Amino acid sequence: MILAAINAQTVVDAIGLGAVYALMAVGIGLVFGVLRLVNFAYGQLVMAGAYTLAFTAAWPAAASVAACFAVVLLLSLALERAVFRPLRTESPAVMLVTTFAIAFLLQSVALVLDVRDGTIGEPAGSFGGLNRAVSVFGVDVRKVTLVTIAVAVVALGLLALLLARTTVGLHMRAAAADFHTARLLGVKADRVIGTAVLISGLLAATVAVILTVQTPLVAPDFALKETIVVLVGVVVGGIDRLWTATLGGFSIGFVSGLINGALPTDKTVFLPSAVFALVILVLLLRPGGLFAPARAVERV
Amino acid sequence: MRRLERVIGLLGPLLLLCVVGLLAATASRANEIYYLNALTAVAIVVSISVFVGNSGVLSFGQISFVAVGAFAAGVLTVPAQSKAFVLPGLYPFLRDTTVGNLASLAIAAAAGAALAFLVGLPLMRLSGLAAGIATFAVLEVTHNLLREWTRIGPGATTLSLVPETTGPLQATFGAGLVVLLAWLYARSRSGRLLRATREDAAAAQAVGVSVHRQRLLAFTLSGALGGFAGGLLVHMLGSITTEQVYLELTFLTLAMLVVGGIASLWGAVVGALAISALDSLLTKAEAGSFIWDAPTGTRLVVVGALMALVLVLRPAGLTGGRELTLPRRFR
Amino acid sequence: MSEALLELDHVEVRYGPVPAVRDLSLSVAAGEIVGLIGPNGAGKSTTLHAVMSVVPLHGGTIRFAGESLADRTTEAVACGGIALVPEGRRIFGDFTVEENLRLGLAARQVGGVDKALAEVYELFPILADFRRRHAGALSGGQQQQLAIGRALVAAPRLLLLDEPSLGLAPNIVDAVFEALAAIRMRGLTVLLVEQRARRTVAFADRTYVLSNAELRTTLTPADADDTEKMLSAYLP
Repeated sequence: MILAAINAQTVVDAIGLGAVYALMAVGIGLVFGVLRLVNFAYGQLVMAGAYTLAFTAAWPAAASVAACFAVVLLLSLALERAVFRPLRTESPAVMLVTTFAIAFLLQSVALVLDVRDGTIGEPAGSFGGLNRAVSVFGVDVRKVTLVTIAVAVVALGLLALLLARTTVGLHMRAAAADFHTARLLGVKADRVIGTAVLISGLLAATVAVILTVQTPLVAPDFALKETIVVLVGVVVGGIDRLWTATLGGFSIGFVSGLINGALPTDKTVFLPSAVFALVILVLLLRPGGLFAPARAVERV
Repeated sequence: MRRLERVIGLLGPLLLLCVVGLLAATASRANEIYYLNALTAVAIVVSISVFVGNSGVLSFGQISFVAVGAFAAGVLTVPAQSKAFVLPGLYPFLRDTTVGNLASLAIAAAAGAALAFLVGLPLMRLSGLAAGIATFAVLEVTHNLLREWTRIGPGATTLSLVPETTGPLQATFGAGLVVLLAWLYARSRSGRLLRATREDAAAAQAVGVSVHRQRLLAFTLSGALGGFAGGLLVHMLGSITTEQVYLELTFLTLAMLVVGGIASLWGAVVGALAISALDSLLTKAEAGSFIWDAPTGTRLVVVGALMALVLVLRPAGLTGGRELTLPRRFR
Repeated sequence: MSEALLELDHVEVRYGPVPAVRDLSLSVAAGEIVGLIGPNGAGKSTTLHAVMSVVPLHGGTIRFAGESLADRTTEAVACGGIALVPEGRRIFGDFTVEENLRLGLAARQVGGVDKALAEVYELFPILADFRRRHAGALSGGQQQQLAIGRALVAAPRLLLLDEPSLGLAPNIVDAVFEALAAIRMRGLTVLLVEQRARRTVAFADRTYVLSNAELRTTLTPADADDTEKMLSAYLP
């Protein structure tokens, strides 16, 4: 029954959703790799970018996007300095809860800033034109979906090249595998962490631009649901390695997109329960992650 | 002297609760709600600490138990005459049953315990990040089911007309009961065995401690106490919605626990009361009925900022994770 | 006697309330090979960790080429000319042999990278054979060679080795000491921490004996066959 309802458009949309989630998954996975820290506040970086786009909606598009990137990068670096760095020696539980707190804090700050004009929500309509559809091989696809997939492929490709072929990429991989020994060999901790946070921020800003096309109204809970789902996907995929984390993020996006598109609306109310029940099942069977080797012990 | 010292760990929090209860009883109608809120918060946070504090496993799903307790107690105490109109879709046995106040609290505890046991059986094998995500998934499933399954409750609408039986007396006694049971558990053999697994799970297992069994026990107790606290909550508010027992409450109660100090009962109580006080102050300021005005949303900002600040500067919390004891001079 | 390259002066390291190293003073002159032996838990590894700034000093100073190493980060010490071959090798199993060696370049302050790599491949031919293979596929002895090679490409002035023969079969241990002999011929300064007392004492210019966090005595190669002296050095 479900299979019959899946058409080409649903699949493409699902791939698009998976692509966005994959970008977020990389952002989260990179920081986890070098800091062993799950950044619950990642979604708030995207939110900050979206609000910047909204508050600069009157500017020319390029300037608005540049402002978005600037704000997100600054915020990422500020977070790293003020919060992640002092917490590096604490237990995973404390780190988890702290980023949770930061997430809530940033969301609340956004609320205070937003509500000043009396309403919650700011419009950010820079790239509304991308919502229009084009016909590709007879399938109606929104331009934004194509752009998203293209951006994701390029970004992930560049990152893979960076990690595999450059010295800084080698150092980052080493830091993720064994930070202590990497430092003994002279790998500079601050540089590696800064690079990871920077790339993570670039990805967050990119996601902000993409998501505001689909959801032009920016509210304090912008990207919150997506972040939660991506986090779940990353842990289910296997947070320990970047590629399993990315695959996990993509998968949960793709599967959600498929199911959402295939089921009629009245049947989708229990979708969250189904998805999360599946998550529990996967974690019970493979606590280290679905795509990790079977005997993988969970890291934290 | 030693025994007195240990009992201080229980009497201290109970005394504090009585003080708050007294304040509630003597406060104006407008202010009474803040004190009752604080007492209910203590009950919820202590129920969470029974599991999280003793086992060291971070669970994001504890509010599920508060939720089922609140809805169970609420649905079963809505007056019979109104129930058929307000909740038309209910299963017959829920629609036709109405219980009294105390019975509803007992049922709330039972509901919380049942959910905890059911969920805990498979989940208690997990630790760390996997446990965090899995318990979060439980919260999501519970929220989704309560919100969409209109045969067991009001679904997305507000459940109202619940008798407001949680006054100063019930709130104080209720919170006190939760504190007492948490203290008894922590001092029991089972509690100590669980804390051994918190320090070093492998070592504890090596000497024969069943990590799974001890965690399940604490989880179930936590569920029972959480459900009970949910019953207190719904009878204090007179109504409940699924959003009130979901992400924001999860964050708030976790914040209270962490700010107070995750590892101890005293920490849970202190954290709950301190943050509640701050929260109430800020709510009044936002509403404009306090000495100074605050823009909307400030309270969450301040609470979030405070939590982050404490975690960065003093990760062990205000109490340092220690129980209340006599000052050195008197030992 | 040439200048001291490394000087430890009344060094004290604690793990919580427990002293791991007590009032330790030793020195290594440029071009020397100095051994550091002692029973398990004596504080040998801790001494090396203190030099690399992995653990903080509770008291005393450590000077390298006359400058104090206090308040430096681990990577700063590594980039300052000291390379550690850690206990258990700690190679990156998922990376190729060549990538492992290139990681060692992180601490290198001078040019001539290709020449350095070529030299390591010449010193340890098996690494050249395996350069594209995953380091995890190497045997224990080969991994030890990789770990040493990785330290060498950093062009350090001082090489620290933490129990390089640990867990290796006797004939492999021979190979390791042969490599160390080759390193000695290049004039590199070495501080060698080992469990194999007799071999180390015979090999090094001087050997300190550490027992129960304190320095007990110093042995020379002439003492290597003096069993009684060796035993009395170990036992309190």
